[in-house]
Amino acid sequence: MNKSTIFLSLILIFTAVITVVAQPEISPERKLAIDSLALEKVKDLGKYISIIGNKDTPFSEANRVIDRALELFSDGSQMGVSSLNNKDIQYFGIREYFQRLMALNYDRVKIEWFNIEYISDLVRQPDGRYVGVITIYQRFTGESDDGMKYVDTTKKDITVYVERKQTQIQGRVIGFWDVLLGDIRVTETKPG
Amino acid sequence: MKRLTLVVLILQLICSVASAQEIGSYLGGEKFMYAETKQINQFFRRFNSEENLDGKRIYEGDPNYHKKNIRSNYIRMLFDNQNKEITENIKSDFISEVTDPNIPSFLDYYGGRWFAEVDTKFTYLGQSRTVVLFLELEKENLGIKWVINNVYFYPFTKLFYTDSTAITKFLHPMSHELDFMNLIKVFKEPNTVEYYFDEEFKPDFRTLFLYEIKKGDLIFETVEKVSFHFFQLNNWYFHLQEFNREGNNRGWLIANISKIPEDQKDMLLKYIYYEQ
Amino acid sequence: MKNANRLLILIFIVVASAGVFSCKSQKKIAAEQAAAAESRKIAKAKADLEELLSDNSGLSLDEKESRLKVIKDMNIEDTEVKDLIVKVDEKLKREREALMAKERAAKLAKEREDQLRNENTEQKSLDDYFKLIANSSNLGTSNRYIGEALQLFASDEVPVLIIISKSGNIVDYDRPTTIKKYLEYLKDQKVDRNKIDNVVYDANGKITELELIKK
Repeated sequence: MNKSTIFLSLILIFTAVITVVAQPEISPERKLAIDSLALEKVKDLGKYISIIGNKDTPFSEANRVIDRALELFSDGSQMGVSSLNNKDIQYFGIREYFQRLMALNYDRVKIEWFNIEYISDLVRQPDGRYVGVITIYQRFTGESDDGMKYVDTTKKDITVYVERKQTQIQGRVIGFWDVLLGDIRVTETKPG
Repeated sequence: MKRLTLVVLILQLICSVASAQEIGSYLGGEKFMYAETKQINQFFRRFNSEENLDGKRIYEGDPNYHKKNIRSNYIRMLFDNQNKEITENIKSDFISEVTDPNIPSFLDYYGGRWFAEVDTKFTYLGQSRTVVLFLELEKENLGIKWVINNVYFYPFTKLFYTDSTAITKFLHPMSHELDFMNLIKVFKEPNTVEYYFDEEFKPDFRTLFLYEIKKGDLIFETVEKVSFHFFQLNNWYFHLQEFNREGNNRGWLIANISKIPEDQKDMLLKYIYYEQ
Repeated sequence: MKNANRLLILIFIVVASAGVFSCKSQKKIAAEQAAAAESRKIAKAKADLEELLSDNSGLSLDEKESRLKVIKDMNIEDTEVKDLIVKVDEKLKREREALMAKERAAKLAKEREDQLRNENTEQKSLDDYFKLIANSSNLGTSNRYIGEALQLFASDEVPVLIIISKSGNIVDYDRPTTIKKYLEYLKDQKVDRNKIDNVVYDANGKITELELIKK
């Protein structure tokens, strides 16, 4: 065995070890916990959206909540919105979407959830992260004091990235699941 | 008749699951949302019977996992029932073949032979034009990803082999003796240059497409429409489309299906790729 | 006649008996009486001391000690009594020492328990804060609770770990956060989804690390 072969096989061994350590296969029980964690993040987002859309929320508070909501997302995530009238996808950056929501001229904004969610399989990407999609349905109601009312029902397909990470907390190594939301496809849906 | 009763039963079950979940400040679990095939992922799972009526994943070992009669009922609900061309005979034939107890066939996300057709809108030289992208799954490392493996753009098709006087377009066999000085005539007529290429040459739209994008002449606007072509099941082809409409027969459904021998699938594929 | 006779006989008898007593000298009577009293005292002291030596008295240590003191104070000149006093004295001293040790242990235990209770109160109140913040519908009130709850921590940046699942040796966490962010999370989401699993304190009794687990 010459030197370069040894070197190569060493590299191969190390690569294999690193990959295995970085992204272990997930058992169904642990997957279930990850699924609920991901769903929790989606629900957290729903709550943040209600706060941002609520006229009674002070400006500074809304901005703080926007920052917190953005922490749920991986960088560069977008909303892709289409309506029954316009089937083309319109794109918004997540921050832009929140800011538009905050600026909406409704006196009352209500975001209600339909009690159904659909969670896809988690599929492994080439970079070792896992990706899945959670589908939820929401009803948005915007009301103005002058009686103007806007209602729509949307299907939201939300990308979820799951990555096994490690960090040191006071000298202790903690393995955790970093669950980040990604692009969101928003389709206005025909009710019933 | 027996089948119909079963379907009705399943639908009723779906409804009862839906109403049982109406709790808290949530809106009612609408029936149609349960019935809707919400993701392609769900289409696979329903087709294979890998989830319960609640939409929760079931695993090997569960009595209903891959179970024949449950699959039969699920698959029956996966057709666009407004398309009268999909006759009862075709449905029954398809269902009995894929649920054959001796050699049942399942859909496999990782199994290949299924791909996406995506209509996209690009600005091309200042005009809004549709580009059709074909994407398929490709494994990389331990993961998997969608890759563009074909492109159809109508203006490209008008660039090649459209001259009816093609028979006169060649470099004569003694051109070499004249240092190929006749090449000047080849390139004087840009519309027919391709006729001077070898027989094997096939213009590659993907390369052209990339070139136009890199030049800045093609600028992405948006996605218009998505559908999926399934060649994975032996002797069958079907087209999966999303239906956003009222009622329970909605979501990702089989919009078209045909029984087609394996050796004829290539022709169909070419047709889908706009190559024929 | 019969009655009168009887009375006479009675008087005679009484006078006659008085005459018998008065026959002894007054001094002798006194000495005899003193000796009798002394021997009764000794007998009583012995009995008492023997009872104290046995464990059947049913008296408390304090009562036993005061009874011994009474006997000692009598200064009884009796060897047997003196021996018994020494024995009882020793016994009660041992009992006193044992009792004191027991009390010290109890006190220590109580102190430890109090400390533990204090810690529990602290945990409980942190838990209370979690509930109060999650259930408060008023921004001002929840912010005040957040301020108060932060006082329990060494800093706003104290790490908060949330366990999402435990299977065998594998513990899965959510992305670590800080206490300030977590409290604000409760305020925003209005749901208290986690319970306290472990708390780490510094020397000043402030929390330096908090581990929560999904309810």
